[in-house]
Amino acid sequence: MTPTISKPNGRKIQLMATCLCDAFFDNVAKATVEVLEHAGCEIEFPENQTCCGQPAFNCGDWTASRQVMRHTANVFKGDKPVIVPSGSCAAMLFHGAPLEFEKESDLGTINDLAGRTWEIADYLVNGLGIQKWPGRFQARIAFHRACHTRGTPSGAAAMQLLESIEGIEVIPFGEAEQCCGFGGTFSVSFPHVSSSMGCLKLEHITAVNPDFVVSGDMSCMMHLGGLAERGGKPIKTLHFVQILQAALQNHA
Amino acid sequence: MNTSRETIFKSIRDALSPIKERAARPSVPRGVADAKWLPDEADSIALFKKQATASGTLCFTDLESLAKWLESEKTRLLFIPSEFKPLVDFFSSRMNVTTEYTRAKVDEIDACITPAAAGIAESGTIVITDESTPDRLAALAPWYHIALLDRADIHRTIGDALAAMPKDPNIIWVTGPSKTADVEGILIQGVHGPGAQACLIV
Amino acid sequence: MPEQKVDSYARRLDRPVQQAVHDNSAAGTEKRYGSLAKDFTDADSLRRLAGAIRQHSIENLDTYLEQAEASLTRNGAHVHYAVTADDACRAVSDILKKAGAKKIVKSKSMISEEIHLNDHLATQGIESVETDLGEYIIQIDGDHPSHIVKPIIHKNRRDIARSFEREGLGDYNDDPQTITRRARDFMRGKYLGADAGITGANFVVADTGRLVLVTNEGNSRFCLAAPRIHIALVGIEKVIPSDSELTVLLNLLGRSATGQQLTVYTEFINGPARKDRPSGPEEMHVIFMDNQRSEILASNCREILRCIRCGACLNVCPIYRQATGHAYRSVYPGPIGAVLSPLLAGKNFKQLADLPKASSLCGACNEVCPVDIPIPDLLLRLRNKAHEEHLPSPGTPPMAGFGILASSPSIWKIAMKTGGLSSLVPLEKLPLPYLSPWLKTRTLPGWRGGQFRSWMKSRNKK
Repeated sequence: MTPTISKPNGRKIQLMATCLCDAFFDNVAKATVEVLEHAGCEIEFPENQTCCGQPAFNCGDWTASRQVMRHTANVFKGDKPVIVPSGSCAAMLFHGAPLEFEKESDLGTINDLAGRTWEIADYLVNGLGIQKWPGRFQARIAFHRACHTRGTPSGAAAMQLLESIEGIEVIPFGEAEQCCGFGGTFSVSFPHVSSSMGCLKLEHITAVNPDFVVSGDMSCMMHLGGLAERGGKPIKTLHFVQILQAALQNHA
Repeated sequence: MNTSRETIFKSIRDALSPIKERAARPSVPRGVADAKWLPDEADSIALFKKQATASGTLCFTDLESLAKWLESEKTRLLFIPSEFKPLVDFFSSRMNVTTEYTRAKVDEIDACITPAAAGIAESGTIVITDESTPDRLAALAPWYHIALLDRADIHRTIGDALAAMPKDPNIIWVTGPSKTADVEGILIQGVHGPGAQACLIV
Repeated sequence: MPEQKVDSYARRLDRPVQQAVHDNSAAGTEKRYGSLAKDFTDADSLRRLAGAIRQHSIENLDTYLEQAEASLTRNGAHVHYAVTADDACRAVSDILKKAGAKKIVKSKSMISEEIHLNDHLATQGIESVETDLGEYIIQIDGDHPSHIVKPIIHKNRRDIARSFEREGLGDYNDDPQTITRRARDFMRGKYLGADAGITGANFVVADTGRLVLVTNEGNSRFCLAAPRIHIALVGIEKVIPSDSELTVLLNLLGRSATGQQLTVYTEFINGPARKDRPSGPEEMHVIFMDNQRSEILASNCREILRCIRCGACLNVCPIYRQATGHAYRSVYPGPIGAVLSPLLAGKNFKQLADLPKASSLCGACNEVCPVDIPIPDLLLRLRNKAHEEHLPSPGTPPMAGFGILASSPSIWKIAMKTGGLSSLVPLEKLPLPYLSPWLKTRTLPGWRGGQFRSWMKSRNKK
């Protein structure tokens, strides 16, 4: 994974809201904006942004994926850090895209973008150096670390921020490192395995009875939340930036 | 017509030729894979005993204890190579001993003492070689195998043992009695090799 | 809509079997983690070193294979080469026929499963008995292993007891210890009556010509003690430079596979036994087999050849735990199999091209791999290969339309605002068939397309 230390970490940033937030989770995108502004950022939101192209990449249609990524690279051109409230989309930008462009002549452009893309927790803690988040939020939470943040600083960074908030108790649960089963189109092409994986995770999570299930990826939350609701035992899911936002709202 | 050898080597060379810079051979620093709990100045004998016991090998340092154990296990026939006369004498007075190991007697002989070539303290491993063993079956077939290990031959680490591998067609590192977990993941001792592994440290 | 084969296999699987495999796999994962954490401060750097060792070995295979051949020959072994699986089978039976060998004993070897060696030997009138307990049970059941290290993880003691009774090994008895003792007694006769022993090899050391076998039961020791001929079947990719690399690899292999510092028997075979010895093979043959490995070496998935067959990736894989080994319809299951099996199929790639899709790309496999194989990247490459070859894939939405949509911001923004693609694309073109598998077990959140954009726009105007 791209090392944190060499990435530009200024406060004039570009925000990639992600297609999932664009379609379903505007509240997460709004919380992202408020959190970044609290951290002192000047946010540019390039309006022509669409998607990172990961769905096509995962399906093996790298031609379609590259088409999308070329558009995205153009939309985010420049030298500002690009901040993403999703470990999955961030990983697409700094790992997946260089992989699908390895034989392309414009690999350089893709590598440039990769070299300044941050998942948001990593950016806040390791880019801006924020060790403690102000405010308070009273809740017992289960934190689901999404698979695309494996091998990156993001999971630890999110935990650090959450655990630093007054009133937050992060509760461990069983088999936490196992995938939730979303996997993008995997969730519809392997529906039985995907749902079984999700139900197994829900069993572990609900056993510790958290107030909220929190993650850095709304894809996982959409999958687990959807499963829980259909199963008759709904859970409350949040992106961790929503907790950071709520803590700020409770700040004197 | 190409031989299989020629075909394969050509395929390999063709496969590798596009690689502009082949992956370099990494250096393997001495001790890089040593267990972190290894004391610098190891009492190798004490460590060997601890690790061997943990892996299921019974360690003996005197003949009397070994004899008592074999008696309690009611071994039927003990094989000892003839060149270990003091051992042959000692055990003959206590139990049935033979100095002849043959295939015909594989089922009859249920216990064997054969020399170890070396030991490894880090893992409690007994090193057996063809050179040190009168018959491969003698160290393998009986339920009870007792390796005769000279304390001076104990290496400190797995890395040390690899650096000092003898030239021998058949070097076996023995770490405990034979076992399997094939049936429902349940650990059972004593499959095809010895079910009881012991070591007499001299 | 047609189902993906791995998904339908998982759906129809007996729950108790799936639970047993899940529990056994989870236990294996715990044991691996425990032993690495106990013994190393930085197990990950050791894995990366082992990965670099293996990558160097395969990228210099031309040198090391030649060196290994010379060393083995110097040690008194006969070296043979087999291009295809059939060549390998014939090489084995030729050696056996020349020596007049009729009965052989086999120790566990995945490569021999790959080439269906036992079936071939049967056609040549040669009896071949699997001596590893799990493999023996597989053999008498006419079954296939479902794990590369724990072949009968899908069977319980009652299954085994019935099989043993059927084979005449005694009355029904499902006590694991009794089962094991019976196998011990039965196999003795086989070893001592065998003309030849066949093994695989975990590693072949190029400079000393050593074969390294990593085992627990003692069956491979017996195969190398009782019969007078030894045949080792080895994939060309198993070669490593020297004994010093073994320090890293042996320290990782046992721990990754079963949480053992070392397996019970680590065997170093350096040639046939001396002629004057009462036991041990007087004749030793090593057959190096290619069977698509050089093709894989040429491909963009060559890293898979680093594999040292520990099975850690199987143990940790959530898809393996749900579907179990037989779902992969090939000798190598799990994450390693999802890459290796379609590649070993060569021109029959399309028959197994669905395996790389049976993954959520979670990356747990790479995290536990002792040689740091980037399995998710290889799975993605194979998905791309399948797409380029226009192979059908049930349940996978076509992405060409998405490519256009997501690179046309004005259309995208309209689609977001107007509640999705339904206003632009006819319903039958909509990926609704792809939505129904979701909706069967999950709800979807309400559509909020365009909400954030207009909020951001009005905010910026202030």
